[in-house]
Amino acid sequence: MKRTLTRIAMATVVASAWMSGASAEEFLVGAEIPLTGNLARVGAGMQEGIMVAAEVFNKTNGKHTVKIITVDDESAPAKAIAAVEKLASQGVVAITGGYGSNNISPASDTANKLGLVYITSGGVDDSLVSSGRKNFFRINNTAGYEKAMLGMLADVGAKSVSIVYSTKDATTGLAKDVEKALLAKGVKVTSHSFDPAITDFKPIINKIKLQDKSEVVAMVGYENDYVGIIRAARVLKPKIKAMVGVWSLATPKMAADFPDLMPNVFGTALLAYPTEFKTADGKAFSDAYKQLYKKEPDYLGQFGYVQSMLLFEAIARAADKGTVKKGGVAEEMRKTDRETLIGRVQFAANGDNQNFVHRMAQHQDKKVVIVWPKENATGKLVYPALPW
Amino acid sequence: MTELILQALYSGLLQGGSYALIALGLALVFGTMKIINLAHGELVLLAAYIAYSVESGLGLGPMFAIPIALVIVSLTSVGVYYIVSRIKKDREINSLILTYGIGVILTNFILLVWKADIRSTSSSWLQEGFEIGPFFSMRSEVIFFGVSLVLMAALWRWLATSWYGRAVRAVSSNRDAAKLMGIDPGRTEMVSFLVAGILAAFAGVALFSYGVIQPAYGGALTVKAFIITVLAGIGSIPGVLIAAVLLGVAEALTVTLASSALQELSGMVLFLLVLFIMPNGLFGAVRRRG
Repeated sequence: MKRTLTRIAMATVVASAWMSGASAEEFLVGAEIPLTGNLARVGAGMQEGIMVAAEVFNKTNGKHTVKIITVDDESAPAKAIAAVEKLASQGVVAITGGYGSNNISPASDTANKLGLVYITSGGVDDSLVSSGRKNFFRINNTAGYEKAMLGMLADVGAKSVSIVYSTKDATTGLAKDVEKALLAKGVKVTSHSFDPAITDFKPIINKIKLQDKSEVVAMVGYENDYVGIIRAARVLKPKIKAMVGVWSLATPKMAADFPDLMPNVFGTALLAYPTEFKTADGKAFSDAYKQLYKKEPDYLGQFGYVQSMLLFEAIARAADKGTVKKGGVAEEMRKTDRETLIGRVQFAANGDNQNFVHRMAQHQDKKVVIVWPKENATGKLVYPALPW
Repeated sequence: MTELILQALYSGLLQGGSYALIALGLALVFGTMKIINLAHGELVLLAAYIAYSVESGLGLGPMFAIPIALVIVSLTSVGVYYIVSRIKKDREINSLILTYGIGVILTNFILLVWKADIRSTSSSWLQEGFEIGPFFSMRSEVIFFGVSLVLMAALWRWLATSWYGRAVRAVSSNRDAAKLMGIDPGRTEMVSFLVAGILAAFAGVALFSYGVIQPAYGGALTVKAFIITVLAGIGSIPGVLIAAVLLGVAEALTVTLASSALQELSGMVLFLLVLFIMPNGLFGAVRRRG
């Protein structure tokens, strides 16, 4: 009897140990990111956020861990497809990353065919969520940027706007949406598209100065475009009241690298600078980021962190239910409903974060001040105000 | 409208000067060795990043980077020559592949050292507006347009009067005959790469001073330089300036009168049009008839 009880006890201990070991898993997660090519700068920023998310998740989850495998997509669509295929062959359970709607589209198509969840913050083009990809998720979208820009322009009462936009998919989409919305409100709008390779913006700004005579120049492009446009405007000095951009503009990096060009320029931003995180999630992110990279976090890292953390949490929930290999990750992603550093995230049936609304910030005295919406403002909106 | 067009012509002229500075080195090597150095854009970019390092590290203006850029970029250019000179067969085709690979190596070296962030001068003085009557530009654009003219004149004179300059022209014309006349073609070709490196150094510092740089830009610079070189016609230095200005003006007028989205297309259309009408380039045919 005693021997039987001992055997039962030992079997129970062994079974418990085996079960707890079996349910705590390490999951491979793929990061398909541009680390070289035109998008290397933003890709590197996003990767930092992904690695910080992995670090924080592994420390806090207590049960499951993730290991990131990164493949460079070289800012090229064909290489993005190859990167996803390579990650799939290495046994990843999902993919985080991607930048540029032109690259994300084929990459997420591939992920979809391979049955892998693909989450990104680098593609805002509407076609990404209207093509029936069941495993595609994104935490930001054109509508969020549009709402922010339109909200700020309405608050300042702009009556005429010249939109200068790159002919890439995401920038064209946003510019067209903003144009349509402004026209519907009775604002006079003129649009000037430009080839991404353009470096001299003086002819465009001169047209705005002499023909459009708008109150506001709205820029929809990337860092190098903004620098070129603002430089041209500083030379030609059109009689405008503000220069407004979207992503990658209202950042501490732009303030530090181009101090003469940034004063009073508006752009979208989720964080003021200097940054102050008040939530536990924010502090964990900030502390881990500074420890790993010895610098202040930026918006790219923040987006990379949020998208990845949501993914890791979904993987963990699916793992607990034993459904990781049975489409459980996508299912858990659809159930996501939580406050994050970018606000509340909930995914609609098409994978879009239906709650995403950006904020507008303004460069003031080498700081980035959130000026719209008023409930999130960290300072006063200064208008009219120009970088010269 | 007149004001718009005049400003476009002025902007196009200045932009053309910048293009000419970038294209000159490629044109020289192409003329001498019939080799398209696909790493030329990366050499220009290397000089631009050296200018960035001097400005950000030492707090000096980009112009002070010129001596350092001259040494590093011209030595790198000579290094490219030594690799290319190892090709024994089908030099024209094989050098394309080889220099493309060297370009990839240089791009990734730049990415490794300087990262992917966009860079440009933070010098207020260089970025300040410069007005000549009704025409507007950045101060740096005018300065480097002048530098471009001086360098072109200096190169033209060097080719016309110096021993090595005449040797370069002789080798370009007939390599074997030049050898028979006592000219060392290998050394002459090396000199042309060295001079191309010197020109790329100036072009890179100029680019940093008026534009924005990123590691991935090298390829685009090489393509622009190649278009201008072919437009000009092989071996024509003044042709490079005229072709570059033509391209700059065509682009500026397209943006002004049509759409900025068509800027790059206008350059390509001009390229194809000139080649269709004058297959040897603007000045290549004239030289042959002469």
